[in-house]
Amino acid sequence: MPNTITEQNLRALIDTLVKDGSRVVGPKAAGDMTLYEPLAGGTELVLGVLPRRSAKETFFPLCEDILSYQKMEGKMTVEDIDLSRLPSTVLIGALPCDAAAPGILDAVFSWDYQDEFYLERRKKTTIIGLACTKSDDACFCTAVGYSPAESRGSDIFLLPLEGGRYRCQIISDKGNLLVERYKSFFTDEEGGNALPLSQPSMEKLDLQKIREWLENNFESDFWKEIAERCVGCGACAFICPACHCFDINDEGSEGKGVRRKHWDACGFSKFTNHASGHNPRDVQPQRYRNRIMHKFKYYDDKFGQTLCTGCGRCVRACPVGIDIAAVLQEIMKYEL
Amino acid sequence: MKAGLPTSATITSVRKLTSDTTLFALRCDDPAAAGAPLPAVASFLPGQFLELSLPGIGEVPISYCGIPSSDGTIELCIRHVGHVTIPLQNAKPGDAVGLRGPFGLGFPLKSYENQDLLLIAGGLGMAPLRSLLLALLVERGQWGELTLLYGAREPGALLFLDELLYMSQSSDIRIYLAVDRRGSCLEGIPHCRAALLPALLDQVMLQPERTHAALCGPPIVYTPLVERLNQLGLADERIHLSLERRMKCGQGRCGHCAVGTYLCCTDGPVFNYAMLKGIEGALV
Repeated sequence: MPNTITEQNLRALIDTLVKDGSRVVGPKAAGDMTLYEPLAGGTELVLGVLPRRSAKETFFPLCEDILSYQKMEGKMTVEDIDLSRLPSTVLIGALPCDAAAPGILDAVFSWDYQDEFYLERRKKTTIIGLACTKSDDACFCTAVGYSPAESRGSDIFLLPLEGGRYRCQIISDKGNLLVERYKSFFTDEEGGNALPLSQPSMEKLDLQKIREWLENNFESDFWKEIAERCVGCGACAFICPACHCFDINDEGSEGKGVRRKHWDACGFSKFTNHASGHNPRDVQPQRYRNRIMHKFKYYDDKFGQTLCTGCGRCVRACPVGIDIAAVLQEIMKYEL
Repeated sequence: MKAGLPTSATITSVRKLTSDTTLFALRCDDPAAAGAPLPAVASFLPGQFLELSLPGIGEVPISYCGIPSSDGTIELCIRHVGHVTIPLQNAKPGDAVGLRGPFGLGFPLKSYENQDLLLIAGGLGMAPLRSLLLALLVERGQWGELTLLYGAREPGALLFLDELLYMSQSSDIRIYLAVDRRGSCLEGIPHCRAALLPALLDQVMLQPERTHAALCGPPIVYTPLVERLNQLGLADERIHLSLERRMKCGQGRCGHCAVGTYLCCTDGPVFNYAMLKGIEGALV
């Protein structure tokens, strides 16, 4: 029974996966930042840092072609994107807040229309999650029902042990397949004691109560107070593991080009703007409210899940210091 | 072909309705085989919409304006105001566009059976209501009294005026028209007065317990219309409104058309007023 893997072997496993033709994505140094990016080899893996952006782009890229078109003899011909070319991928070192997000997004990308781009990437990706040992004061996973030791969403889950080892927990068939195939990298040894995990300090939120408050306070002045500062930059949505709004645009000429799907943000002032000039959410408080409602009410109404894993990225990235966790705590104080 | 890819269609006729609005007829380039059902995008319900794209320019949601036709013709009434619809000003028969659809829920025809129907259109809102109107007239026997109230800025902006005046000659339907602008010349336009659209409701005697209202217009007309209809005794559930939102994907994923907890593309665009009542900004 393969129980543990050394850090050295983990890096060697990446080398081998890459050699075998897999795309391996993991935290990697990119200038001053750490980002989830394709790794050329095991040495590139950065451990113990929360990447600046989430891992959602492994499944839902910032920008992707959804079709190509060509106009021939006055007719428009449309061509599919060949999804079979998408590489088999291993997402390695995904922290619990990132590993859990695809499991939430599966719902919106397959509830009615099947988003084959997302689903094909999901199918072809194995997630090796990693327990979190380094949180900061923006983290609030425990407040929204996750934790530094949460294995939900991972196919294999690694728990750091003393002495540079990781305990492996096989969560899914996909995870089992990978371990079986690369058995030699793992050992049967028990390994030492677990390293202390991070302990986000925020208390658990009553998400049900928050939802009920949201239900009854669509028109509250609260939104004006909270969102007065919001500049609508969209940073919170772009670095969020669970935000999934996108836009569709053409790139190319009238005769030939591609249609692309790319991230969008409900905080942008033109997000709902119509050609007529009518804009149903024409002031920032309405847009900020939509962000909170979507995450903590609408998505739950529709799919029974909260669209937030408490990674805290939006808190760190907000240029005007809006703290979504503080907003939720504020809501908790109100009477229903 | 993946679900959701646009199918190529060709413009078969172009009819300028006003200086900024055109009625297009289109047909899919790959017609269904003989005996087979219509291409998906040509088989729709009044109130549904499609996504029309111009290659290299983009894609926009447009309401169906006609009813499904046996030869697969699709009618779209388009105002030239946006990045896709402005270039369409120069479109000619034979030009190619992409179509995806149909999307959304249309008007609830089933619940209209044996009921009196009051259609209220403002401006370009006549486009989807024309689809409903034509569908109702095809099966005229299914419904009770049929009334259309239609208002536009000025006489020249009344869409489908010839058709409407022709219809008004029969006893199948009563039509009342209004133009906002005072002092407009209404000569040759029977049933028309200079008034705001909600004022037309004063001319109508309705039996609220057996009437459904179907509304489509610019956002500004909804609140006064709904208020007036409520005063006339019409229950919220009997008032159906077609909302305009920026539906990008049409398939409940992209987030652009959220109206409170609903998505205009999959829960609408036709909503009954009871659903929208508590959502600030849904109507305006």
